[in-house]
Amino acid sequence: MSISKVADFDRRYIYIVLFLLVSIPILSPLNLPIPISSHTEGVWDATLNLDPGSIVVSSFDFGPSTIPENRPQAKAHLFLCRELGMKVIAMAFWAAGGPIGDDVLSEVYGEDFESSAEYGTEVIYLGYVPGNEVGMQTFGDSPLDAKGTDHYGTSLSELPLMLEIENAADIDLWAEWTSGTPGEQQVIQFVQGRHGGPSAVPLVVGSTAVSVPGMMPFYAAGQIIGILNGLAGAGEFEYLVNRDYPDYPYEQGPGLDAQSVAHVLVILFVVIGNIGWAISKYGGGKS
Amino acid sequence: MIPPNIGQLPPELDLFAAIFGVFATIFIYSFLWKENPLSRAVEHLFVGLAAVFTLGFMYDAALSQAVWGTDRLAQGNLIWLIPILLSLMYFFFFTKKYFFLYRYPVSIVAGIMAGMMICGMIQSNFLVQIQSTVQLPLVGDGVWEGWPMPGLDSIIIIIGVITALSFFFFTWEHKGALGISTKIGRYFLMATFGAAYGGTVMARMSLFIGRLRFLYQEGYEDWFLAWYLIPVAILCVVAIMLWQRSRPTPEPSVPSKTPSKKRESKG
Repeated sequence: MSISKVADFDRRYIYIVLFLLVSIPILSPLNLPIPISSHTEGVWDATLNLDPGSIVVSSFDFGPSTIPENRPQAKAHLFLCRELGMKVIAMAFWAAGGPIGDDVLSEVYGEDFESSAEYGTEVIYLGYVPGNEVGMQTFGDSPLDAKGTDHYGTSLSELPLMLEIENAADIDLWAEWTSGTPGEQQVIQFVQGRHGGPSAVPLVVGSTAVSVPGMMPFYAAGQIIGILNGLAGAGEFEYLVNRDYPDYPYEQGPGLDAQSVAHVLVILFVVIGNIGWAISKYGGGKS
Repeated sequence: MIPPNIGQLPPELDLFAAIFGVFATIFIYSFLWKENPLSRAVEHLFVGLAAVFTLGFMYDAALSQAVWGTDRLAQGNLIWLIPILLSLMYFFFFTKKYFFLYRYPVSIVAGIMAGMMICGMIQSNFLVQIQSTVQLPLVGDGVWEGWPMPGLDSIIIIIGVITALSFFFFTWEHKGALGISTKIGRYFLMATFGAAYGGTVMARMSLFIGRLRFLYQEGYEDWFLAWYLIPVAILCVVAIMLWQRSRPTPEPSVPSKTPSKKRESKG
């Protein structure tokens, strides 16, 4: 087969090549170097610059389909918040995010953490907050009115930490783990914009890679002060956490290696495809 | 109330969950080879589960606001009856006679969302973005990480904003200076779409890698389960595809040129 007929190549062979090549780094990690991006440093610095006892909101706005990207981001950040002595109010504006948040918090704070002494004063999990954008705005305006009970059935007014915030301006950092709507843009529009802007409600985002180009204007404008970009961002942040807290495992290395290999392969296919297209167009054949 | 640990299987079912996860993963990815009943079955299962899950959580969360979480209705706070009744009006969608009542909650929700979005978007997506573009530093530190010529990055952004906006200016024909501007703007837009495509590839690869890590590394009591299950699952897919191929292909239905008797009688 000449390269000009590359468009006729059965794509299923590409899937097989991709499957085999991506499998190699997962089974035998390549330990490629990890440059830390400024976006990830933004999340790291924003969290480290907070005083102990600061109030951090952690919002699990994603579903099972993006767990590989969003879950390690949220987990590493929650671990860091706990180590730094932050008070965490966690919730989910996605129904599917409700159980995921419970699962991640259980891993970081321990099984049955809702029965522990620190629950209610150091950490709270509201679970699913209904209403999408309306729910977000209600939480920003008056957190006690956003939902009747927490994820475990306790009335919000019985949780001391909830009484420490009157509105979103009392939040020191909003960490948004998102893969769609409602997500970071809705936080900017309905929470940050209504309560004093980025300086009053600093926002860091952990997102799927597909959404990150769309949020760069908000990052450039300072409305978002840090972004964890997909699996790569999760890996970079895990690496930083693991560097300062060796107890926290750095698990994303093989995944990042696999991603690098996959990207090289995709670039290669794009180049081959374009060469084939150019030859067929300018070499006398049909494009 | 929905139990807080819903979705989490008891430890004694870990083996079942691992086996089911491996089979579901292989079945759904078999779509890439060829669509088959197994990939469709898992796809429908996923969609159905997601729908039921979301519905259950929304119902539970909404009622916990008014009824069992806060006892607001029991305390005589009857204003909460209004949203409950409005939400029940959605069910008039299923009746022909009272369908018009379904339009009231839809109109109210659309109106509320429009009002909220206009206020929020003008501030955060419009004014702040204009402000940050105007304030781009032409001297001093640049805005792009590692960019060797600070200042030039700001100029490129400003040119990109103006020319990309001109691409959507349709009052005059795109000729002359406006034509050049729209052409440059088109290249900026294409670069943006390219970045979005790159992000999409990265995201899809991440999900694929996540599934592969599940297959290779998630085990059951340190036993690498997938190594044994993947071939079995692939064999299932191959068997179902062979069975599918052995079946006679149904003739494609040709639409009748003459109207049916039923239609004639209606007419």
